[in-house]
Amino acid sequence: MAENSILIVEDERTLRRLLEYRLGKTYRVRTAANGEEALAYVHEEAPDLIVSDIMMPKMDGFALQDALSEEKSTRAIPFIFLTAKADETSKQRGMRTGVDDYITKPFDIDQLLSRIDRLLERANVYQSQLDAKLGQDFSERLMPKRMPEEPGYDATFYNKPREYGGGDIFDWKKAGDDYFFTLGDVMGKGLQAKFYAFSFLGYVRSSLKAMMDSTRSPAKLMQKINQVLVEDEVMENTFASLLLIRWNPKRHELTYANAGHCRPVLVTDNGPELITYSDMILGLKGDTEYQDSTLTIPPGAAFMAYTDGLMEQQPPDGTMLGEEGVMRCTENLHTDDAPIDRLLEQVLDASHNDQFDDDILVFWLQRHA
Amino acid sequence: MSLELKTHNEETVIVRIGKALDFRNASEFKAQCQDQVQEGARNFILDFSDTGILDSTGLGSIFSLYRQVSPLNGQVVFASVSRPVQVVVQLTRTYKVFRQFPSVEAAQDTLA
Repeated sequence: MAENSILIVEDERTLRRLLEYRLGKTYRVRTAANGEEALAYVHEEAPDLIVSDIMMPKMDGFALQDALSEEKSTRAIPFIFLTAKADETSKQRGMRTGVDDYITKPFDIDQLLSRIDRLLERANVYQSQLDAKLGQDFSERLMPKRMPEEPGYDATFYNKPREYGGGDIFDWKKAGDDYFFTLGDVMGKGLQAKFYAFSFLGYVRSSLKAMMDSTRSPAKLMQKINQVLVEDEVMENTFASLLLIRWNPKRHELTYANAGHCRPVLVTDNGPELITYSDMILGLKGDTEYQDSTLTIPPGAAFMAYTDGLMEQQPPDGTMLGEEGVMRCTENLHTDDAPIDRLLEQVLDASHNDQFDDDILVFWLQRHA
Repeated sequence: MSLELKTHNEETVIVRIGKALDFRNASEFKAQCQDQVQEGARNFILDFSDTGILDSTGLGSIFSLYRQVSPLNGQVVFASVSRPVQVVVQLTRTYKVFRQFPSVEAAQDTLA
């Protein structure tokens, strides 16, 4: 976890330096000599906690606290008053304005440290609970509730988001005799990636909807999505790998465009085979061209696509499993009753730890023999 | 942290990436490069000779840098690309954007 930052506001130089030294051992510390200075710092970069004196020139502690309370963005910063004013009136005044703690001088530095710890811990727990809740919500919305049902096929997917995972997306849409699958990974980690993934999926969906009447080519759709991503300021610095797949179950045909995504695998009696063609990842260059490739699914064969969580699992030698490693784990699974379960087991068997570090997403399209 | 920046000339900066560029130090990489761009740097030589880990967050920070300097006619080039970095570059098909050089010196010669 990132180091917590603390802002010390104290006009007396010696005490300010002492606090800076002692707190600096555990936290990232900034100091200000009065409320005015402190306020300017807070607007630059909000600290995780503020320790402030009350009596100071220019702007005193109360005025600082009032100013912080007026703004939504600063209201919730934990605040400790540190002062020689031991009298009840100022203490009550301090408490009333939303101060979290009140320590009178002369004080014991260990006592101050333990109170800081407690306040920060409380704030961090709230934050991570909130993150987990939001992350879960995003993750659920990024995945379909059901899968296509077509005679002669089993279409299944598995998804397990991690709290600190990335922005995996998976979606499908039926259009006439075709199905369009979207499978991808928005770069980054944690809640931010999930949020970007959520907006990105919105773009993809609306592009598909808008273009479906004029083209059925995944590559053309991909090109459009890339342009939007590069040109739109809201999506600036969003990069994503993506597979767009058109599936026609009657003709047993898959047509796909791949933008820098882990390459899918076709599993047949002859063993697994990488479906190799791919173009550049989305969001980097607006004029990137994408190409369609088509393959036929033979009777009894399976098509498998996934996100990098599988590939980045580490074997005991500290390297990465990689596309080849994942591919090897799919061998003969086209005849298995629970191919995704078996695949995950085999990937874990090949890794040095017994669980996945990142989001896991696997899509398995099985044609009956 | 393991990043090391060295100014080659007014426009060119060499960044020694160190053992890893991932979610732990990607924002630091971004911030430091941004400072350099503000001071006039346009070209970045990324030295991957010791790099064992380049995850998607790390790669994203390199992409952001590319997006930042390309309108200024700047370049981001890779030097001494290690095997794990090569794998990621191949997968994402980004070798079309990031030129590769066998060494920092070779990159310097070309960019000069």
